[in-house]
Amino acid sequence: MIRHINKLRWLVLTTVFLMLILLPFIHLYQTYLAAHAYDLLAPAEKQVYDVMEMLTDPFVSDPEKDLDAIKGNTWSGTFFGFRLSDPLAVVSQSAAGLSLYWPFILTGLIPLVLTLLFGRFYCGWICPATFLYELNSNLAILLHKLGLHTGNRHLDRRFKYLVLAVGLVLSAATGAVLTAAVYPPAIIGREIYYGVALSGFSHVVIGGFGAGAVFFISTLLFDLFVSRRGFCRYLCPGGALYSLLGHFRLFRIQRVVENCNDCAKCNAVCEFELDPLRDGFGQECNNCTACIAICPTDALKFSVTIKDQPFQGSGHLGKAYKRSQESSAEEEALQGHPT
Amino acid sequence: MKRRQFLADLIYGATVALTLPIQATEARVNTTGVRYLRPPGALPEDQFKSQCIRCGQCGEVCPNRCITYFGIAHGTKVMDTPFIIPREQACILCMKCGDVCPSGAIQPIKRTFDDIVGKVRMGKARVDENLCLSFQGKTCGVCYRACKLQDVAIRIGMLEQPHVLDGCIGCGLCERSCIQIPQAIRIIPDYS
Repeated sequence: MIRHINKLRWLVLTTVFLMLILLPFIHLYQTYLAAHAYDLLAPAEKQVYDVMEMLTDPFVSDPEKDLDAIKGNTWSGTFFGFRLSDPLAVVSQSAAGLSLYWPFILTGLIPLVLTLLFGRFYCGWICPATFLYELNSNLAILLHKLGLHTGNRHLDRRFKYLVLAVGLVLSAATGAVLTAAVYPPAIIGREIYYGVALSGFSHVVIGGFGAGAVFFISTLLFDLFVSRRGFCRYLCPGGALYSLLGHFRLFRIQRVVENCNDCAKCNAVCEFELDPLRDGFGQECNNCTACIAICPTDALKFSVTIKDQPFQGSGHLGKAYKRSQESSAEEEALQGHPT
Repeated sequence: MKRRQFLADLIYGATVALTLPIQATEARVNTTGVRYLRPPGALPEDQFKSQCIRCGQCGEVCPNRCITYFGIAHGTKVMDTPFIIPREQACILCMKCGDVCPSGAIQPIKRTFDDIVGKVRMGKARVDENLCLSFQGKTCGVCYRACKLQDVAIRIGMLEQPHVLDGCIGCGLCERSCIQIPQAIRIIPDYS
């Protein structure tokens, strides 16, 4: 049962990503409605109008107003009257203005509480960049099978905390929220919106995809050719913040040593190069449950505890443990019969 | 001792010379190279840059598609912040952007006459009488008819000649509608 959570996670990731594509089109549809000019739309615009009308018609009675219920993206959004913001947005704004704006800070409260409970879950379950990065990892495996050289360098995981600190200091120094420019989940929502709704807008605005798209594609290439999931592991400022907040998270994946057979599949599948095999989860685990899904002996379980277990020794189903048991049994046997 | 003094002066002078251009650009509010307006209810420019989190929701609710976003070419400090080019598409003062803005960079303003006239400060229109058709003897008056705050923001005199009043808040509908090319009425942005 629990091993299917990973499929649920993929469903959530896909839904979030599809919503980010759908929302700009809904915005266009609403502007067409507001203009009351269906007959004047270009054929392509009419197509957008018709498709959006078909998709949203079952849910709303007055689309021009009712479709305002869901707006924004994963950086900050409005969801049926609830405003939700990324804690990094809250921290960055406070740093940039060197002041606290409470109405905005409160919008980061629900994500903050969830992060304190589930740790870096946002990275594994919501982040639209994760959706693309994990597909990118699969692409890397494919390229590797085709004989291309893909990178798997190991850098220092603590580097992202430095990125977070430098980002906040620069934001404070310039008085502009600069972290928004290097944070993939913020970039993706924005860039999809630019690409869909602003392309061909006017001569002043360049329109279409902007610098963010270039930045994001370069991170994809970095992951592909330098280090697998390298951006999330070593560079992401949001991931750094979530890791810090999730240090004492309540829900963690833990190893059940009795069921473990030391096959090390969990370590191979872990996107964040953690060490489930030796109980090494730490604050960086994003509860993505990929290790649970791949474990052949159900040795990984969610547990409610604020601390990781120390290394419990080799798994009881593994050869190393059995050998050590046998040797200790022999010792006991020897001790039992001294002569 | 003298050499040390000279070196100290040299370093001081070099520092001043190097930071002067930075100070000069800091003093200029608009460094984008574009005459733009912020959405209605926006904070003063400096505060706006630090308060806006670049989430893009203001543009997403704008029914008039007048809100667009700066790119990297306009500078990293203003990148992805919202702006309006009135000649392209002017603000219709629906006030939805202030309602949706989570960060407080665009303050919510009620959609009533008093609140809009009292609180919105996007800029002020200015008529170029050398360009304006009405001042050239061809009665036009399109800007007056486009204005949502007629006789508060703009009035027309003889031959439909427009005169901007103190009530003008700079939504840009007059500039958008001007039939003269280049436009004879334009908004002078208010970034303070």
